Amino acid sequence: MKVRRSGRLILGAVFGFIAVLTAFSGGGAVSEFSDKVPRKIGSFGAEGEDRVYDRKTLYDYMDGGAEVYLAFDFREAWTRRYAGPGGRELALDIFDMGTSGEAFGIFSCDRQDPGAGLGQDSEYGYGLLRFWQGRYFVTVTASAEDEETGRAVLDLGNEVVKHLGKPGDLPKLVTVLPASSLRADRTSYFHEALNLNNRFFVSAENIFHLDRSTDCVFAEYDAGAGGTAYLLLVRYPDAEKSVAARRSFVGAYAPEAEPEGLARTENHKWVGAFLEGPFLAVVFDAPEPDWARRLIASLQFPRK
Amino acid sequence: MNHPLTRRDFLKGTTALLFGTSLASSQEQAAPKKSRVVLIRSREVLDENSTVNPDVLQSMLDESVARLLDEPDGVKAFRRLVKPGETVGIKTNVWSYLPTPPELEAAIKTRLVDAGVSPDKIGLDDHTVRTNPLFVNATSLINVRPCRTHYLAGMSGCLKNYIMFAESQEAYHPDSCADLGALFKLPQVQGKTRLNILCVLTPQFHGRGPHHFSRRFVWNYKGLIVGLDPVAVDATGLRLIMAKRRQVLGPAQELPPVPKHIQLADTRHGIGTSDIGSIELVKLGWDEEILI
Repeated sequence: MKVRRSGRLILGAVFGFIAVLTAFSGGGAVSEFSDKVPRKIGSFGAEGEDRVYDRKTLYDYMDGGAEVYLAFDFREAWTRRYAGPGGRELALDIFDMGTSGEAFGIFSCDRQDPGAGLGQDSEYGYGLLRFWQGRYFVTVTASAEDEETGRAVLDLGNEVVKHLGKPGDLPKLVTVLPASSLRADRTSYFHEALNLNNRFFVSAENIFHLDRSTDCVFAEYDAGAGGTAYLLLVRYPDAEKSVAARRSFVGAYAPEAEPEGLARTENHKWVGAFLEGPFLAVVFDAPEPDWARRLIASLQFPRK
Repeated sequence: MNHPLTRRDFLKGTTALLFGTSLASSQEQAAPKKSRVVLIRSREVLDENSTVNPDVLQSMLDESVARLLDEPDGVKAFRRLVKPGETVGIKTNVWSYLPTPPELEAAIKTRLVDAGVSPDKIGLDDHTVRTNPLFVNATSLINVRPCRTHYLAGMSGCLKNYIMFAESQEAYHPDSCADLGALFKLPQVQGKTRLNILCVLTPQFHGRGPHHFSRRFVWNYKGLIVGLDPVAVDATGLRLIMAKRRQVLGPAQELPPVPKHIQLADTRHGIGTSDIGSIELVKLGWDEEILI
């Protein structure tokens, strides 16, 4: 699929229309959460006014974190504070990410805690609950980590998930990944270099030419002997751009690579960059060249 | 394209590139005067609940600034930095999750008054420095904030602390906030910064969650990093963050996201030195788990 910026605008309009339709079946405009989400959760009660932020005002709320959301198709955020006994607080944030793929994306770029059994996927640890369902990404942040607060965090999450509408699809690019040896809970989906470098530092420059028009999947594979190999799969708007990106990457990262795109790196593992039409697949830390070749050969590239 | 810093540089152990170190500079015959940075730590500055002991913190500030300027005590050192009759702005940071400790702001104010600055001529501000009369009229600035990682810039330190002086903060966001060093050339700022204090009492070495903050990635380092050169101060802070990340998260996550603005503040904007070979790091006080 070729996605150009104008295409994204059209898609955005279509999704906007769908959003209006689905407002009546759960998952409507974010301000509706004010009426739907309970104001009392155990010994915690809502405090202050609920607030809504959009792409222009998110900086007012996210001092130092807005860019994470703006790198996706973030639409609006709805926030509420709860106060509990002893000065304890909960912060509930519900982010409308436009599509389920984008909601999965923002969730997937920052995973490291055990699942909490909420929504389509979730995690909970150290007072932070994160989950996604449909086009929504949700966080509940607690100021304390005692048992009562932890119970309130999960209870609040369970109340919220009732109002998020139906589950949505994963990004198609994620389904391309070979399942064998895949560490599925480590797969991330994103668009921009900022997200790649927070997930796995490759270069201080944007050598893959990533921007809002690119779709990226970053995955981890068990490479045997306790080792991990990494796969970055990028879908560019067209084959011309993927070719240029591969040339840029090889020139900056592995100029000694063979024509096939493979090079041995300083940790005695292999890096390889492979093209398939608009797709660029790069394997990092493969134990052997054939391991990288096999992984690439097993990718199920979507047909046009 | 010049060789960009890549993951392979870390595999090769050549991460000094991040700090602007080059083969050329290390081969220079006559090395320029080093930029002095003082790292001071005290076991007693925080209690078991991370509550600040203001007296200990005042002593740390005094000792570090005195050593920075080779003066016998903090009062004499501050008299070197500011003069009676001046208007001084303390550019602090109010980020709710990890603000500049009020005890540190108070310690700075105390010494400014001791140096002869009238209390009503001392401004303390973050978000409204562009319009605050005490900052509009300031003849000297003190730059103070906590050290933490930042999703976009890699690290928030003394360089990024001045973004509130910009007419458009977004204008400094492209390319991982590459040009934060240019903030120090804004008319309201240029030539006025007398002291840079990077608070590493409880630095944050990794970020996550909706606001890029999690208590699990903050630790009681109990230190201050002090210098006249904001680039050298931040480069030292970055070394600390990287060392902690390596210790806790492993070598693969040693680097926070692309903190290129520190090197570029040196090589592109010329406001200080990021080259660790040109920084004289003076360490005072408690040295357990000092990491750098």
